[in-house]
Amino acid sequence: MELELSLSPPYQKTPSIINKSFHGGDDDRCSSTVTRFPRVSWNQDEDDDNNKRFFNGEYQQDMDGDGEGLIGWPPLHSWRKRFMEENHSGGEGFNGRVDEEGENINVMNNNYNELLFVKVKMDGVGIARKIDLNAIHSYQMLTSTLIHMFHKYVENDEDGASYKLMYQHKDGHWLLAGDIPWEMFIQTVQRIQMVRK
Amino acid sequence: MAYSFPEEVLEHVFSFISSEKDRNAVSLVCKSWYEMERWCRRRIFVGNCYAVNPKIMIRRFPEVKSIELKGKPHFADFNLVPEGWGGYVYPWIVEIARGYPCLEEIRLKRMVVTDESLELISKSFKNFKVLVLSSCEGFSTDGLAAIAANCRNLRVLELRECEVEDLSGHWLSHFPDSCTSLESLNIACLLSEVSFSALERLVARSPNLKTLRLNRNVPLEKLSTLLQLAPQLVEFGTGVYSAEIRSDVYASLTEAFSGCKNLKGLSGFWEVIPAYLPAFYSVCSRLTTLNLSYATAQSPELTKIVSQCHNLQRLLVLDYIEDTGLNALALSCKDLQELRVFPSDPFVADANVLLTEQGLVSVSEGCPKLQSVLYFCRQMSNSALITIANNRPNLTCFRLCILEPRAPDYVTFEPLDAGFGAIVENCKQLRRLSMSGLLTDRVFEHIGTHGKKLDMLSVAFAGESDLGLHHVLSGCDSLRKLEIRDCPFGDKALLANASKLETMRSLWMSSCGVSFGACKLLGEKMPGLNVEVIDERENLDSLHESCPVEKLYIYRTVAGQRFDMPDFVRTMGKDGGGGVPIKC
Repeated sequence: MELELSLSPPYQKTPSIINKSFHGGDDDRCSSTVTRFPRVSWNQDEDDDNNKRFFNGEYQQDMDGDGEGLIGWPPLHSWRKRFMEENHSGGEGFNGRVDEEGENINVMNNNYNELLFVKVKMDGVGIARKIDLNAIHSYQMLTSTLIHMFHKYVENDEDGASYKLMYQHKDGHWLLAGDIPWEMFIQTVQRIQMVRK
Repeated sequence: MAYSFPEEVLEHVFSFISSEKDRNAVSLVCKSWYEMERWCRRRIFVGNCYAVNPKIMIRRFPEVKSIELKGKPHFADFNLVPEGWGGYVYPWIVEIARGYPCLEEIRLKRMVVTDESLELISKSFKNFKVLVLSSCEGFSTDGLAAIAANCRNLRVLELRECEVEDLSGHWLSHFPDSCTSLESLNIACLLSEVSFSALERLVARSPNLKTLRLNRNVPLEKLSTLLQLAPQLVEFGTGVYSAEIRSDVYASLTEAFSGCKNLKGLSGFWEVIPAYLPAFYSVCSRLTTLNLSYATAQSPELTKIVSQCHNLQRLLVLDYIEDTGLNALALSCKDLQELRVFPSDPFVADANVLLTEQGLVSVSEGCPKLQSVLYFCRQMSNSALITIANNRPNLTCFRLCILEPRAPDYVTFEPLDAGFGAIVENCKQLRRLSMSGLLTDRVFEHIGTHGKKLDMLSVAFAGESDLGLHHVLSGCDSLRKLEIRDCPFGDKALLANASKLETMRSLWMSSCGVSFGACKLLGEKMPGLNVEVIDERENLDSLHESCPVEKLYIYRTVAGQRFDMPDFVRTMGKDGGGGVPIKC
């Protein structure tokens, strides 16, 4: 299934529940500096390509084994990093939220209807984002949200960059997004990756 | 007068001089002082195990009691140094076992330590007292068992952030019943269970135990037992600080803590159930060090704790503390000297907590003795950095990590050159600096101009051209350690400042633009340096001259090149190295 999207300004304002950034003026900053959005298409026929570029103006992307991004960034002692990864499933971050009984709240738990955060990573970008899938109701809205979130990275990239949308199923496998109905998708998705073609 | 003092008097005077720098200075005064000093030097510090040969060290200093060795470069902590690079301690142990049978202390950092090495240590030094392993790897609990079993007078056994293969928790039982000399035991980094009964018996028969740091697997319910056996503890690290909420457990824990009248430092707190936190409130007012950097407690609880720690000098905490908690810290802890704030969710751009640059600004305002900062955050501004610099000109160590690489000033979108520039300009005693965010060559100009006392500099994703590196190498008079990753620095600055490298301990550059050819040239021209190219691509020897190397580690040495390298490391410019295949 091919989802092709190209947006023209002005873009619709992101629902605030999705963008939990405390950067405050993030949205406003985007609207004042961006004048165009790239064409992004999701195409299931193309092969996965693992590019490794050395430094000559672009930085080398050494993705470490667990897919967290740049090796050695942020600079945390490997012992500490391993402790954090082991203590929180799926490497979703050291989220120690507790309720009154002292039980750890798993924000990833689908039983909590209000929030369903999944981590989204884009190839070539060192740091991930989180989006609340319960605030998104269709693949269409997902792609437009992701474009808005990651546009500044794509803008600096070569023209015509295209990505395909992959997601990690709860049984661990990586699959192409768009094949199953949205309602089924949000029941099984653990995390999302935008893979460069 | 040819002789001012008899030897015995001079020796006595020298015995008060402990710092390596001063000792080295003393030894340079004249031949007789050199001779006298070398016989009475008791402690040796080797900052780079490949910089010097152990045989030469033993020949010059025959009566050493304590040795400290460091192996891998600092960036190894972040997995930037591939496995197998080096840093093996065994050859050193073999030599010092022969040369220093009366050795009492060994401290190792970032070295590969095998069970064989530990066994050799345990059998070679009859009066062995202190073993401290920091960020080491390569050994298992079997090696620890050998230390426990054979070191009759062991006082200190500390494992700090080591990777230990856990074969059995029973290694602790290898401490003989006759061993009662333990003063410090730190097993916080061990991942599996140790035998609690062995631990209990050990603590019970160690009246001099001052430091006890447990690992995660010691349950909270058992803490009071241990504290009651060792109320003289000065430093205590809990295990997991979480258990079913029971009033009897809470009561005995509270009582046990209040019985520890000498407790000055607390750590551990792996996972936290808030209900149990008040159990240690009684010790808060005495605490000088508090490490909550693994504690999954939220801002209100953390605020409550720090507000009671009026004598706190050192705080390590997660960013759960948020700006509000740091404001409370600024109000309550006027003796604070060191603050480290770690990220709770570092791999995601979006903030999960309300911690911003404001928290650090508050602490810089409220804590007049603040000297050392390590701060992870998601946003920073030049104005905040300038304020911090103006508030705290007494900073000696400033390490800031903005999680997203190349993030600009979040208010003005400018680079953070002015902010970091203010830090180096105002903080005239600054010895250590780590920078992050969007930075141009200008920041390096500031550093080169003002960073005269800078000893160690860490740079990532910064700069625009070789000029940046040139400013640092030519301007920072005291620079000894420079580590750089992902910066557009190439050959020019490095080759132009080649002689500077001999005045430094080491230079690390990875994912930069230094060419294979430049490395070769540097290695050939500078015999006092080992220029190591670390590159895991195939055909390392046939890399084109202009090809940038993956990683480069340059260090000064009097030991010549090493021969324990894996196939992805080459020492450039020495015989048989530099990309030329060895003739058969």
